[in-house]
Amino acid sequence: MPRLRNFIAQGLVLGGALLGAFSASAADVKIGAVFPLSGPNADYGDTFMLGTNLAVEHVNADKMLSGTLSIIYEDSAATPQRGVIAANKLVNVDQVPYFLSAFTGVSKAVAPISARTKVVAINGGGVGPDLATLGDYFWNVIPLADFELKAILPYLTKKKGAKKFVLIYVDDPLGEAMKKGLEQGLPALGAQLAAAHSIPPTAQQFASIAARVREVGPDLVYIASYGLQQSQIIKQLRDNGVTQQLAGYSGMGLPAVLQLPEAKGLLYTTQRVNFGSDDPVTKRFISDFKAKHKKEPSPYTVNYYNSVLLFAQLAAALEKGKQPVTGENLLKQRLATKEFQFAGGKVSFEQNGTVVSPIQINEVDGKGGSTVVE
Amino acid sequence: MLLLQLLINGLQVGAIYALTAVGFSLVFGSTKIFHVAHGAAFTIAGYIFYMLTVKAGAHWLVGLAGSTVAVLAFGVLIDRLVYAPIERHEGSFFTVFVASLGVATIVQNLIGTMFGRGFVSVSTPLSKGVEVVQGVYVSPLVGISVVCGIGCFLALHLFLTRTHVGMALRALGENRDLVRAYGLNPRNLSTLALALGSLLVVPGAVIAAASSGLNPAIGAHVMLISIAATIVGGVGSLVGAACGGLLLGMAENLAHWGLASQWSEAITFVVLLLFIIFRPAGFFGSAIKT
Repeated sequence: MPRLRNFIAQGLVLGGALLGAFSASAADVKIGAVFPLSGPNADYGDTFMLGTNLAVEHVNADKMLSGTLSIIYEDSAATPQRGVIAANKLVNVDQVPYFLSAFTGVSKAVAPISARTKVVAINGGGVGPDLATLGDYFWNVIPLADFELKAILPYLTKKKGAKKFVLIYVDDPLGEAMKKGLEQGLPALGAQLAAAHSIPPTAQQFASIAARVREVGPDLVYIASYGLQQSQIIKQLRDNGVTQQLAGYSGMGLPAVLQLPEAKGLLYTTQRVNFGSDDPVTKRFISDFKAKHKKEPSPYTVNYYNSVLLFAQLAAALEKGKQPVTGENLLKQRLATKEFQFAGGKVSFEQNGTVVSPIQINEVDGKGGSTVVE
Repeated sequence: MLLLQLLINGLQVGAIYALTAVGFSLVFGSTKIFHVAHGAAFTIAGYIFYMLTVKAGAHWLVGLAGSTVAVLAFGVLIDRLVYAPIERHEGSFFTVFVASLGVATIVQNLIGTMFGRGFVSVSTPLSKGVEVVQGVYVSPLVGISVVCGIGCFLALHLFLTRTHVGMALRALGENRDLVRAYGLNPRNLSTLALALGSLLVVPGAVIAAASSGLNPAIGAHVMLISIAATIVGGVGSLVGAACGGLLLGMAENLAHWGLASQWSEAITFVVLLLFIIFRPAGFFGSAIKT
């Protein structure tokens, strides 16, 4: 028995040493992602991962980095509390230099961790305007809601003739920002926000909200929610006699909304992505995505593809200059780079770390797609 | 008119809540199993109905039959494969609770993997409201919900009071040893309670698929309401659970009359809290004497 014990002990020591040596010699590059992978917003996580996984495949196929790039996914369930736990794990345990974030509430919660530890956090899904003010280490590859409202409100008031708006908004930082945006933006356009109904993120019954909306008799109902709740709101509004024009922000660009027959005619904003661009990055992204998933990519998919691509471009430049890939160096490199070649075209960042991108207005066809109306 | 509309909405939601709460209360009252996976039965019923009617294009009756078979199988299997082994090893109440929670989580993830984690619904003209009086919209689903609720509850009541098996099931909650002394098998009765309790979620799940839609996490919400309704109605009382479910559905909708919309969900727990403080035994429950 003592011999057996010695043998096992020696084996364990040898195994540990080999494992350590192997880990040390491998130059794998890891980044993190704090996505909603469970709960009612998991649909977003799935959509985001279509972009990130394709980007990792492309980066590794092109050998852009000295090692193999991989992503450690952590589940935020779209809640700030779990987002903070996930970000802490990525930064302190996995020691990633860069992680992807999503959702306004989650992003605002993880931003202090990113700032304190000088690890870059990049958002491609949350659109709360506050996200532009979260410090040097928090970047956005998605235009924020204030830009979306600036684009859609003139269209809705002038071209659609909507003067009386009702807002249904989720009771969180995103919803509050949208409410503020409508309150400030509508009077200047000769329109008014006649009523605003806040809802908890977990609410699932909206027939009574529909009754209150009908009472006001608006020209248009603007929905500022996310995840499956959006589909529930749209279906229940339509089922309960709300026939007015519906509108929303980029959160509507989910398959569940686009496929909903009741959503037909809904107008929503997204950043303009030129899928017809001739540059090789866009062409490759589109062709590989369609070959793999047999559908068009959503703007979220593009954003998270670009988020990973941005890291690879910055890290490759740092490796070329023999500098370590740290959050601080990634920030310096981003500030030193004027333009980035992304899927959808060349983009630049504003000083506050948010991309500059034009906005387009889309109309849902209710069959899984949408058409650009402006 | 708004008040009338809110009452009608509350009736529909309350009928669904009442049925799911009665199912949970039946299981808990007779077996003492804190069956958290009751919400998973709701999810399974809804998604099987969706799969058969929308994906496979089958008639709604086929969908209904499929849902019924699926939840019956779920109820029987969870009792035989999860609760029975724990009971054999004299597992505690907490062990059963954790096992049930585990099953609910597995079901949620399986459904998400199979059907996607987004929103799905069954499109039907029955969910479209029509204006019956100026400003009041009523869909046929409101009537169906109420009729189903009353019908299922009466059928269950007759079963429990007029049949020997039903009486045995009631006795199981009172005195397990006495049931055994009468030559009945408590284990088989437990399985029956699980099957019946699961069966009661079918109408609510099918109506939810057509009205508010489904998602893999819907079971958690259903479970929360079922527990609250059981406490409000009085633990062990099926009439109480039904009244509790109806009250919560009504309260959730009537909260829109005068209160901000964001309070509609919180009102459920305000009602629950008030009952816990002022009437801990619920509507029809009896106070526990030490």
